[in-house]
Amino acid sequence: MSEVGGRLPRRRFLAGLGTLAGLAGTAALAACSDAPPAGAPPGPSTPGPPPPTTTSTAAAPAYTGEAALLALGAAVSGLAGDLLGQAAAGAGQGRYGAVPAVVSSFLSGAAAQHVAHAEAWNRLLVAGGRPAVTGAPLTVEPQLRGRLTGALAPVDLLGLAADLTGTVAATLTVIAGGVTEVAAVTLAAGAAPVAAMHGATAGFLLGRPPTAPADPTAGALGPDALTV
Amino acid sequence: MTAPADVPILQTASSLVELTADTYGSLQALPFGGGPSALAPVRDLLAAGIEALGRARDDLAAATRAAGGRVQTDPDPKYAPVVAQALPTVRGPGDVVGLALTLEDVLAQTLVRDVVDLSVPEVRRTVAGHATASARRKAVLLTLQTLLATGRAELAAVPPDLLALPPAAGTVGFPDVLFPTEKASPATEGAVR
Repeated sequence: MSEVGGRLPRRRFLAGLGTLAGLAGTAALAACSDAPPAGAPPGPSTPGPPPPTTTSTAAAPAYTGEAALLALGAAVSGLAGDLLGQAAAGAGQGRYGAVPAVVSSFLSGAAAQHVAHAEAWNRLLVAGGRPAVTGAPLTVEPQLRGRLTGALAPVDLLGLAADLTGTVAATLTVIAGGVTEVAAVTLAAGAAPVAAMHGATAGFLLGRPPTAPADPTAGALGPDALTV
Repeated sequence: MTAPADVPILQTASSLVELTADTYGSLQALPFGGGPSALAPVRDLLAAGIEALGRARDDLAAATRAAGGRVQTDPDPKYAPVVAQALPTVRGPGDVVGLALTLEDVLAQTLVRDVVDLSVPEVRRTVAGHATASARRKAVLLTLQTLLATGRAELAAVPPDLLALPPAAGTVGFPDVLFPTEKASPATEGAVR
């Protein structure tokens, strides 16, 4: 699909942006899980007939052109919301030892805002006639989820949060320059600084210097990081 | 690509960067700003801010020239008198944080709004990057403001004592789901006349 074909009508974008003010903390991302994707091939079994020799065509990407950038925004925000939300839940269950209240409140608060961002990106997609992104279909998802699984202490959660929110901020910064529809630019421009604020707070709690990256797009994910 | 309509937007952003950088320099010269009696996170923030604002100044100047405009090197005319009035009244770290926060909020809001208004994608991305840098400083300043308001300056330490921090310190740095723009300066405010 051409870039033009990937763009969405401005009116539908604006309708999709909606209001974000009441969204913080209201919902968990619907389908962030470790489950294999629907239709994944079954594991090995007893020897059977050879595989069919008919060729199959790989499914076309669900998102192309500007819609791929919206999907990327939804996926990366959704991943941050899910992982930070799980970190907060695990902290509440004592999985990481004694977690200071300030760390728990940070994780919960940041997670809620990322979830709200993911919902806003998805509203733009749906308003443009594209499917909403479910889960976190990103190439980096297993590695980042592995870091959460391997976390042992609050400092590990804060380190993950600092890195993850840095990736989100960098990605949304690139998206801000890559999209053209006003509602998408507005969302990227408004959400990227909030993700950066999460990173700054995590850095403060870790005792790191308050230095902004010299290249604010370093580590940004591109549409090729999408697995849908 | 040139975009003459972007020139006043970039000039106004430059004027706010100039004012914020100049003010940080003045605050840094104070004993409780960047001097020996300064709280470590306040001192570190001012130093990091001056460095980042220098990059913003250079990037905005380059974008202004590329758009065919004259680089704005004067401070923002609306807020410069406010700063001139406020600086002599700065008496401690709380005042340093308060003044810096006022300027960072206007700067960040203006840059966020500029991203929407600018026409050249590369410039939008550059300005968005500086908006996130300013927002990072705002987050730390909001956190420091909250900690200093408790009357226990020792909470503003590097690293902080996580067990001693109030839970609110974990969220006060990001009060909005989307970064606001109500205080954004209009494009004409700092344009070269």
